[in-house]
Amino acid sequence: MRRRGLYRAVAFLAAAGLVAGACGGSDDSAPADTTEESSEEAEAPAEEPADEPADEPAEEPAVEAGDEAEGDVDTEIVEEETAIEYGGSVSVGLEAEATGLRPWEDTCSSPCYNMMVAVYDKLVEQTSSGAYSPNVAESISANEDFTVWTMTLRPGITFHNGVELTAQTIADMFPIQQAGAAGSGAVSAANLVSVEATGDLEVTYTLSQGGSAFPASLARAPLGMVFDPAAAAADSEGYSMAPIGTGPFVIDSRDLDNETTFVRNDNYWATDPDGNALPYLDSISFRPIPDEGTRLDALLSGTINAMQTLRQGTIRDARAARDDDGADITLWEFQGNNLGGGMFNVLVPPFDDVRVRRALVKMGSQEQTIEALGGTGISLPATQWFSPDSPWWSEKVAEAWPQFDFEGGVEILTEYINDPERSDGKAVGESIDVELSCPPDPTLIAAMQVSEQLYTASGLVNVTLTNFDQQTHIGIALGGENGFVGDHKMHCWRWGSDDDPAVSLNPALAPPTAEIAEAAGIPGVVSPLNFPNWFSPTAFQAAVAANQTDDFETRFGLYESIMLEFADQVPVYYSGHTATAIGTDTNVLGLNSWHLPSGELGIGFPAAEGRWAEVFIAS
Amino acid sequence: MAITNSSTTPEFPRDRLSNVSSAVAGPTDIAPKRTTFRKILRSMPLRVKLSSLWLVLIVFGAIYAKLDVAWFGGSLPLQDPNIQTNGFIRETGQFGTGQPIEGMSTSHWLGTDAIARDTFARIVHGGWVSLVVVVVSACCGIMIGGFLGSLVGFVRGRVETFVMATVDVILAFPALVLLLAMVSIFEVRNLFVISAVIGVLSIPAYTRVARANSLAISSREFVTAARAIGTKPSRILFREIIPNVLPTLLAYTMVAAAFVVVVEGSLSFLGLSVQLPTPTWGNMINQARRDIKINVAQVMWPSLALTLTVLSLNQVGDFFQQRREIRGSNL
Repeated sequence: MRRRGLYRAVAFLAAAGLVAGACGGSDDSAPADTTEESSEEAEAPAEEPADEPADEPAEEPAVEAGDEAEGDVDTEIVEEETAIEYGGSVSVGLEAEATGLRPWEDTCSSPCYNMMVAVYDKLVEQTSSGAYSPNVAESISANEDFTVWTMTLRPGITFHNGVELTAQTIADMFPIQQAGAAGSGAVSAANLVSVEATGDLEVTYTLSQGGSAFPASLARAPLGMVFDPAAAAADSEGYSMAPIGTGPFVIDSRDLDNETTFVRNDNYWATDPDGNALPYLDSISFRPIPDEGTRLDALLSGTINAMQTLRQGTIRDARAARDDDGADITLWEFQGNNLGGGMFNVLVPPFDDVRVRRALVKMGSQEQTIEALGGTGISLPATQWFSPDSPWWSEKVAEAWPQFDFEGGVEILTEYINDPERSDGKAVGESIDVELSCPPDPTLIAAMQVSEQLYTASGLVNVTLTNFDQQTHIGIALGGENGFVGDHKMHCWRWGSDDDPAVSLNPALAPPTAEIAEAAGIPGVVSPLNFPNWFSPTAFQAAVAANQTDDFETRFGLYESIMLEFADQVPVYYSGHTATAIGTDTNVLGLNSWHLPSGELGIGFPAAEGRWAEVFIAS
Repeated sequence: MAITNSSTTPEFPRDRLSNVSSAVAGPTDIAPKRTTFRKILRSMPLRVKLSSLWLVLIVFGAIYAKLDVAWFGGSLPLQDPNIQTNGFIRETGQFGTGQPIEGMSTSHWLGTDAIARDTFARIVHGGWVSLVVVVVSACCGIMIGGFLGSLVGFVRGRVETFVMATVDVILAFPALVLLLAMVSIFEVRNLFVISAVIGVLSIPAYTRVARANSLAISSREFVTAARAIGTKPSRILFREIIPNVLPTLLAYTMVAAAFVVVVEGSLSFLGLSVQLPTPTWGNMINQARRDIKINVAQVMWPSLALTLTVLSLNQVGDFFQQRREIRGSNL
C-alpha cells in the first residue's frame, strides 16, 4: 500500500507537471553538467549516427538542428545594455494562484514557480547555453559511477529569518522532502537514498543507481529550492503563507486569490557581475488573473506591468496589440521542449495494435491542429520531445516521424479492420471505436474536433469526443484504481520539458505494471509515469544507459534511438511545441539578462518563469 | 349511467356534474370561453408579436435542421454545421479553401468559427438542443410536477408536508450546482441525458406553482359542491382541480423555458452539455471566446440567439401569465 501511495504521489507530481501546468515544465535543456564549478557548453548533436532509422517515409525537414524555425521567436538572451536603476515595483499577472509556496509539498506549474523563485534560491541553475551551473552551491561533482554526488555550498548565505545556510540545513531538508507530496516524487525519480552533511558546507548525496543528470534534479523546486527546515517542520501550513528562503525577495503579504507581495531582501547574498547588490526592484507582486484575455487587457491598460502566458492564442493577441495597435509592451517569448499532443493507451484495444496507432497518426493533420489551437506562425510542429533549437533535437527523428498521409493511414487501418484476428474483437470490416478525450479548454476542443472530422472522413472510425476537467483528465490516465493502467484511450497530454531528458523521459519508459516488469526480467521496476503503458526493453535499457554516462554524444545517440522507436511505434502523438511568453511594459527590463554567480548568463524565462532579481524599471 | 360510489354518498346523476361547476362558478369562468387564435394575436402588444415571431423562427429552424440531417441526408439548403471548410477533402486529396474566423459573406452569412465551420448553420442546429431540452423539461414539469402539486394542494395533510418539504429543500439548493452534480454522474452526455436531468430538476418549481393553484381552486365553491354531492376525490382532482391548474402551468412554462434555455447554455459553456461536435449556443460561445479579440462576432451571434430567445420567452410568458391572471380574477 505504501508503494502504491508513493507511486500515486510520483505520478501525480509528474502528471501535474505535464498537464496541469498546461505547457509547464521547468527550465532546463541540455545535458547535465557534471563538472565542478563551471559548466560545459551544451553542444549540438552533430552528425553522430544512432540506431537504424524508422521505416517511415521522410520529407525534407524544415529546420536544421539548433536552428530557430519560423514562428519560433525566442527572445535572445543577451547582456542588458541599459543602465540599471534601483527602485520601483512590478506587478505580475499570473494565469492562476499558486497551489502553495512550499517547494517540498506543493506541486507547482509556471505561475507558482514565478512566485517561488522570488523567495527561494536554487542550488543549481541553468545557463543560457542550457548547461547546469552551481548557484547556491559553489561546486558539485560526482564519483565515477554517478552514485555519489558531493556539493559544496557558498559561505555566508542566510535565510530571511537570519538563520545561516549550512550543509546540515540541506541534510535536514531531506526528511521533509521525502515526506512531502512534491518532494517524495522527486526523491524517488532521482533515486536519491540519503543526504548527509559531510562538512560545514559540504553535502553528500547518495543515489541507489547512477544518475549523471542528478544536478538537473537540484535545479528543480522539490529538491533544488532551499528552505529553512526548522521553520518548515514547526509549521508546514504556515510556511505556504509566509515562506522563508534565501532568495532576493521577502514575503510581505499574501492575500490568496488576490495579491501576494514580496519586498526587497536587503541582505541578499548575490550581486550582479558588476558587484551591485541585488535585487534592483523595491517590491514585486503577483496577481492571479485566470482569464487570458482579461490578463492581457490588464497589461495593456496598465493595471499590471507584467504578465505570463502559456497560450498561443494570447501570444497571437499580444503580438497583434504590439505590432498592429502600437501597444507599449515587450514580449519575452520562449518555445522550448515542452509540446502538446496526446497518447494511446496501448493496453486497451484497438490501440494495442501498432497499425491502429500508426494509422491515426498518419490521418491526423498537425498543421490543421496547430491552426485550430491558434498557433499558426507561433508554434512549431513537433516530431520529438525536443524543439529544433535544443541540442537533443535529431534530424533523423524528424524525418522518421509519420507525416500526414490520409490515404496511407486509411490503408493501414483497413488492414487492421479486415484482419480476422483484430484485437478489439469486432467483426471483420467493422469500424474501430476511438474515444478522444481532452480537458474542456476551447483551444483543445477546437483541436480535437479537427481530428474527429479527419478520422470520421475515413469511414473506418467511430469517434467519441469527451471532455473532463483537468484533475479528472489526469486521474483517468493515472488509473490508480486499476493498477495504474488507466481508463484512457486516446488522451490529450503534454510531453517533454526543458529538463535533462533523464528527468522527463526516463520515468515514462519503465514498465507500467508489475506483470510487464516481471515478464521483462526486471521485477519491481514499475513506473506509474508510463502513461501510454508502452514498454520497450530496448528503449528502457537505452534510458538507463543514458543516465549512467555524462558523455553527450553517447547520451544523444541513446535518446535519439528512443525517439526513433517512438516514431516507429507511436505510443504518443504530437501537435506543436508550446509557445510561452512574459509580457511587460517596455520599461521593464532585465528578464533576459540575469546571471549566475559564475557570471554566466542564466537561461532566461523558459515556460514563462521569470527570474526577478535582475529586473529593473528604466525611467 | 350508474356511478359506483362509496356507500355514504348518495348517487348523483353524472351528467349533471359539470352543470354544478358551471352554476356555482357563474357563467364567466371555468368552462372557458372559446378564444380564437386571431383574438389572442390581436391582443398582443407589438413586442410580444415580435417575440413570438422570433420563437417561431427558432422552432422552425431547429426542426428544419433536424429534418435536414435525419430525413434528407443534408440535402436541404443549409450547410453542415460540423463541416470544416478548411478541412481535408478526401476526394481531391487537398485541404478546403475555407478560412477560420471569417467575417460575414454570401457563402457564410454569419462568418465561420475557429475551425472554419459555418456559424449560421451551427446557430440553427444549436436551436434544436434548446428546443428539445425545453420541451422535455416542460413535459416533465407539467406531467410530474403539475400532477404532484395539484395532488398535494388538494389532499393536504402529511403528504403535502412531506412533498413540499422535499421540494423546498431541492429549490433551496443552488440549481446550477445541483445540475452540475447530476450531469457529472453520467459518463455519456447526450441530448436524452441532458434533457432528462434538466427535466427532473424542473419538477420542483412546477410542483410549487401547481400546489399554490391547487390550494386556491380546492377551496372554490364548485369543488365544495362536488365534494358535497359525494364525488370521488380522484374524480375531483382530475375533473375539477387539474384542468384549472393546467392553464397557469402552461403560462408558467414559457417563463420556465427561458430559464431552461439559460441553464442548458450554461452547461454547454462549461462543456457539460451534449457532447461535441453537436452545436449548441453555449458551446459556440465557449469556443469562440478564445478569439474574441480577433472577431467578436463569433461570440456575439450565438449570444444574440440565446438572448433573444430568452427575452422572447419571457415576453410571451408574461403576456400569457397576465392573460391568465386577468381571467383568474374573474373567478
